[in-house]
Amino acid sequence: MRVTIVQGLEQAYYNLVHMVAEFLPRFVVMVVIILVGLLAAYLLGHMLRAVLRLTKLDRVSEDAGASRVLRMADLPSMTELLSRSIFWITWVGFILIGISVLGVAGLQEQISRLFRFLPEVFIAMLILFLGLVLANFLSRAALLASVNAGIRSPKIWSWSIRFVIWILAISMALEELGLARQTVLAAFSIVFGASMLGLAIAFGLGGQDLARRALERYLGNSTKEKYKEPQPL
Amino acid sequence: MADETFLSDDLLRQLMSVGEVDLLVGILSHSSANTMRRAAHYVEKSLQQNFVRQRVAIISVDGGAAEDAGSDYHSGDGQPGDSLNSKGLSSLRTIHRITAGFNGTPSLGLALRTILSSSDLLRAKACAVVSPVTSSASPEWVANLLRPAFRDNFDFVAPLYSRHKFQGLLARNLLYPMTRALFGRRIRELYSDEWAFSSRLGTLCLNEEDVWREEAVRSRPEAWMGISALTSDFRCCQVYLGEKPPPPDGAGPDLVEVLRQTVGSLFWLLETHQQAWMERKGSEPVPTFGPDHAVTAEPMEINRARMFEMFQNGVKELGPILQLILSPETFASIQGIATLEQQFFRFGSELWVTMLYEFAASYHHSVINRDHLVQALVPLYRGKIYAFLAEFSEASAADMEAVSEHLCLEFERQKPYLTEKWKVGVEVKS
Repeated sequence: MRVTIVQGLEQAYYNLVHMVAEFLPRFVVMVVIILVGLLAAYLLGHMLRAVLRLTKLDRVSEDAGASRVLRMADLPSMTELLSRSIFWITWVGFILIGISVLGVAGLQEQISRLFRFLPEVFIAMLILFLGLVLANFLSRAALLASVNAGIRSPKIWSWSIRFVIWILAISMALEELGLARQTVLAAFSIVFGASMLGLAIAFGLGGQDLARRALERYLGNSTKEKYKEPQPL
Repeated sequence: MADETFLSDDLLRQLMSVGEVDLLVGILSHSSANTMRRAAHYVEKSLQQNFVRQRVAIISVDGGAAEDAGSDYHSGDGQPGDSLNSKGLSSLRTIHRITAGFNGTPSLGLALRTILSSSDLLRAKACAVVSPVTSSASPEWVANLLRPAFRDNFDFVAPLYSRHKFQGLLARNLLYPMTRALFGRRIRELYSDEWAFSSRLGTLCLNEEDVWREEAVRSRPEAWMGISALTSDFRCCQVYLGEKPPPPDGAGPDLVEVLRQTVGSLFWLLETHQQAWMERKGSEPVPTFGPDHAVTAEPMEINRARMFEMFQNGVKELGPILQLILSPETFASIQGIATLEQQFFRFGSELWVTMLYEFAASYHHSVINRDHLVQALVPLYRGKIYAFLAEFSEASAADMEAVSEHLCLEFERQKPYLTEKWKVGVEVKS
């Protein structure tokens, strides 16, 4: 009995030592990989920041209206955002590689699944961001054009454009992630179709006079005198 | 030196057959072939009467109608003694006619580049650029433009016109006073359809390789050329041409497009020549040939109520955009006057100038997309013009001049404010 207990304890001790002996080098390797990753991520982020500053990306971003969107979302400048993103993507990548070296069963599969899913997440985020920038830019262009042309309720046009682009971007992002594809497609078709039908009905029934005037203007039969301004030059 | 690869083979062939000339007249247009033919006829008449002994060439640079115009353009190839001559004088030399078409998207900038390259290859001593519409007004215009550049060694010759007191209000309230205050020379018509220049200035501009794709140069090359002359301390002058004819169809050009081209171009020029304008103080007159510009005051019907409504609506709807462009104090002032009744509405010179300088600084710092920024100015310009029309509907020409001078001095007075706003942003950005 006593011998059996001692043998059991010895076996447990040997197993523990064996496990530690097996785990410790892997752990050290993981720590090394994470530290190397930190260094690599820092260098990559720093280099990207320098290159983007040299290429004046922030000016381009300002011109495209992207910087304003970032400011609205309380995010840093485009250069800073990309540099920080590359830092974190690189480092998280190294951390995951390091964890996979530990050889913990089950975790490896989850990590590889995450790796497989990462590009899709990245693309979906990119689609959302571009959609946001495009919606902002085009809605502002529509607002300015409507105001300067003297069109009534210019914000309706501006918001309609913003809304349509958002819906489109969100649908595309969800489609990219593969989440409820059929539902997203059906929802998009319903929302978009309903909006267009609603506009058509509103314009055709509610705005018969407006439709007639628009057609008259289009066909050149308008009896109303065109608004003239003094010659600017 | 002209970039010969930029010119088409056909144009090079024509230029080589001409050889060298003393004077070159470029007709810039996207007009119909008939308009071009008529313009060429008037230009030729002017040259035959006024430059009898000089070797001259006319180059027609036209986007849409080049082929059409060209088919008939060469046929009357400037024979001396054409029936055009009314003074009994005729050119002793052949007047050459050249046609240049576009390969790419036509633009005034591309057309000017073609004229500059041709002028360089033909070794022209002076060159005038005219539009088909205004060159038909009087044959004397072309000669009057060319004379100072050819005989008096001026490098840039700007036109002066006689106008109705309510025409050219953008030039009167914004372009002239702002350009004068910042670049220090009193040239009234930098944004015009006709101007002349020396071979020296032509070569300087032609050697600018990087600017030809810029929208400001593509749409308003004359302003860029004028400012280049001013900032390089070239000799500039003005010459009185006469009454500026109205646009061909009787309607004015689209205001938004005009502002995008002219104000956008001016703001871009401020950025590209910032060293030059920041160092200058005050302003000096430039030599003027003929009378100074004249103002006429016949009654004119303008829908002022609609203009005021568009101003008020613009301030209300574009509030968030204007807040990004203007300082809080200026924005509050604009909002304040937008709530006034029509009969009490005034847009003071001080507020107008402050607002424009803040627009210019915000353009420089790209606070929002630059094209959007210029478009956001349109309702405010309408407000200023409404106030101007209301205030000076009964004013005489002398009163109008006094008001213009006061505005110019206000622009000069507030110039340090623009410099400050301009530099503050630079420091923050860097």
